[in-house]
Amino acid sequence: MFDPKKFIEETVEKLKKEITGKALIACSGGVDSTVSAVLASKAIGENLITLHVDTGLMRKNESKEVLELLKKLKLSYRFVDAGERFLDALKGVKDPERKRKIIGEMFIRIFEEVAEKENIEYLIQGTIAPDWIESGDKLRDRIKSHHNVGGLPENIKLKIVEPLRELYKDEVRAVARELGLPISERQPFPGPGLAVRILGEVTKERVEIVREACSIVEEEIEKAAKEKLMKLPWQYFAVLIPVKSVGVHGDKRAYGYTIAVRAIDSVDAMSGSFSRIPHEVLERISTRITNTLGKYVTRVVYDITNKPPATIEWE
Amino acid sequence: MVRIYVIDNGGQWTHREWRVLRYLGVETKIIPNYVPFDEILKEKVNGLVLSGGAPRVGLKERLGRCSEYLEKADFPILGICAGHQFIARHFGGKVEPAKIPEFGKVELIVDKEHPLFEGVPKKSIVWASHNDEVTWVTDEIEVLAHSRDCKIEAISHKSKPIFGLQFHPEVEETEYGTQIFRNFIEICKRY
Repeated sequence: MFDPKKFIEETVEKLKKEITGKALIACSGGVDSTVSAVLASKAIGENLITLHVDTGLMRKNESKEVLELLKKLKLSYRFVDAGERFLDALKGVKDPERKRKIIGEMFIRIFEEVAEKENIEYLIQGTIAPDWIESGDKLRDRIKSHHNVGGLPENIKLKIVEPLRELYKDEVRAVARELGLPISERQPFPGPGLAVRILGEVTKERVEIVREACSIVEEEIEKAAKEKLMKLPWQYFAVLIPVKSVGVHGDKRAYGYTIAVRAIDSVDAMSGSFSRIPHEVLERISTRITNTLGKYVTRVVYDITNKPPATIEWE
Repeated sequence: MVRIYVIDNGGQWTHREWRVLRYLGVETKIIPNYVPFDEILKEKVNGLVLSGGAPRVGLKERLGRCSEYLEKADFPILGICAGHQFIARHFGGKVEPAKIPEFGKVELIVDKEHPLFEGVPKKSIVWASHNDEVTWVTDEIEVLAHSRDCKIEAISHKSKPIFGLQFHPEVEETEYGTQIFRNFIEICKRY
């Protein structure tokens, strides 16, 4: 079995030897990057600079909460608000792989800017096994470019260190619990953020729609899990499908986008089955989404595909 | 300690096979499929797992040195997905594009008693992910299990400790996957 205590000891020792100068870690507030940050800080102390980038593609209030978390963990952190930069770079881009590449590259350029200013040599990443497996290599097919592996540009000035490379999410959670981190059970959120939850072009308006829809899905499912109507899925969110259909809102014709609700059970993200959400919970989600976003959304559907054949996220 | 290495043919779940073996207390590591057999032999392994592969490699490709392993090994070998297809081909069988490919949930029906399926009921849920399948095997090979859409889900060589599974025992959703790995480990221990 996996022994988180032993893993922490061994990793901290390894990082001490591997990193001989200042290092940067970009922390999204998720389990992988936060665990990596805490392990690195145990290894190299003040030589670690934690960075949080608001990509403009984060969930509701997310960046604010992440900064509070970093403060609480007593990590020395920097903050970059890059919402406009990401949105500009994504203008007109529809292909999911291109989106991922653009975002991966933008991340690295921002990291390099911070690194240059602060004389940083190393970049620590919270890469875990499915990230490099699905990004593909000489032998393996590319399923999708994870922003921290397949989405990286070729010319990177920083030396990359990946302490969690061989781990899966459930093992990282075990490490997070051992470290006493409050985010140990947080659901995964993709690096490219809401950009891969909008099929087709990413626009400011679409980001706002899907952000609100995601927040409704999260709230309702978490509430239902608390009420014991269902167990909390591995991951649960909304996807904006830019296909329009007809509705009737207060005796008036409506014509708007489709929101797909996705909830999936998994242990390691490498396979999964769609969650059996009670119909009453699905109904609450659907009603809230169409009422709150009535101007934009006329239809809500539930994704009943397992992984494989589908992936967890839609892009 | 039992030592079973995973030969990487480029599958999405190669690393997952390594993880399951590790969790079962086996000494294991992932090895690229081009490593010469003599080098593997030097490490005194008790068994090999031939992983699944990149898309369609089971159909026609050589899968690195897998042929050499199958010829020279005097220890058990378990092929999974593309590894299974390759075993069937190596012993003269046929692999073709599946009429109905299987992705995700499949009901496995075990037809023959076999040490690999000890403790596995006749019907159970397994997960698969394949475009191609074994459609025909020679007399050397015995078919152990099938599903509705795939007639050859599991095979065993009649005189050598070589087995193949079309589905993925390493995937969490496969009900008796860990049990199948335990059985394989037992076979390796006894051999």
